[in-house]
Amino acid sequence: MDKEIPSEDLMARIAERDDSAFEILVHRHQTSILNLIYRFVGDRTQAKDLAQEVFLRVWQSARTYQPKAKFTTWVYRITANLCFNELKSARRKKWFSFNWSDEDGEHTIGETLSDGAPSAEDILLEKERSRQISDALQSLPDNQRMALVLKRYDGLSYQEIAQIIGCSVSAVESLLVRAKRSLQEKLKNYEK
Amino acid sequence: MKCRNVQKKLSAYQDRELEPKEQEQVKSHLLSCRACREQFAELERVWQTLEELQEIRPDPWFYRHVVRKIKEPREQRLFPSLQWVPRLLPASVIVFILLVVGILTGTYFGNILSQSNIFLLHYKQASETVFTSMRVFDPAPPGTLAEGYFRMVSYKESDSR
Repeated sequence: MDKEIPSEDLMARIAERDDSAFEILVHRHQTSILNLIYRFVGDRTQAKDLAQEVFLRVWQSARTYQPKAKFTTWVYRITANLCFNELKSARRKKWFSFNWSDEDGEHTIGETLSDGAPSAEDILLEKERSRQISDALQSLPDNQRMALVLKRYDGLSYQEIAQIIGCSVSAVESLLVRAKRSLQEKLKNYEK
Repeated sequence: MKCRNVQKKLSAYQDRELEPKEQEQVKSHLLSCRACREQFAELERVWQTLEELQEIRPDPWFYRHVVRKIKEPREQRLFPSLQWVPRLLPASVIVFILLVVGILTGTYFGNILSQSNIFLLHYKQASETVFTSMRVFDPAPPGTLAEGYFRMVSYKESDSR
């Protein structure tokens, strides 16, 4: 029943501080927002914190929200800005502290594996593959990585990506060409 | 279409972002050109590889965490790194109070002692001790036979009166 209500209408109800509408909206978009952030920052804990922050901003901005674009485009734009700012401040903080991210801990697997219980070797292999891909993604410049994640995992059009990142369609095309070329190079030795 | 042009458009072709006419032109070129076809196959391989990146699921309390974040004070959200300050505050206040009390007590007693000349007395006694001990190096140190002899020699009748 919840699926019948468009997100834009839910936003109108959230503007009136309707908690139940907000709960529906969060449950509907939490997985996609969380994974967009996770693929971008490569850190599970940070992704969870940032995803919560995105929904906090949705709640705060509900009264000023104008349904000009699709809700997903609007919320992805909030997410992208938050991610870019977070990485900028994290890079600044790195000057003053040690590297706090334990990469091994970030690529916990098994949550989305199939029901058949995988062997310890399979799990390790899966973990290693996921780590290689994540490392390759993390090595891309921020704009390229965001464009690639939005295209590859969310299937957005160049037009939508341009609106989210705040650039032209041709710039998105160029970002993706460069991102794919870099990944080709970095995943050259990757084997299934 | 030439290979060079096709290779420029391969990414957009893969994303189905070309105009329908261009999309067809690239498609037919790939059928006839082995080099471009291999390049496209490599692009597809990498695209498929990205599928292996694990997806994560939000925990069941995600919504509750969001609600808690909405309700928590603004300062706490803006400066999460300063959350330890209130915990350290009592300790630093105690240290500060102890320091102030120490300085005031020290100043008070210092003034009293200096006014009651106890320091001066101590100084006098100390200087006498120093002078007495220095007489050890005299030709006739106190309490020795030499000192007794000198006293006897220098005895005058007028002194006894």
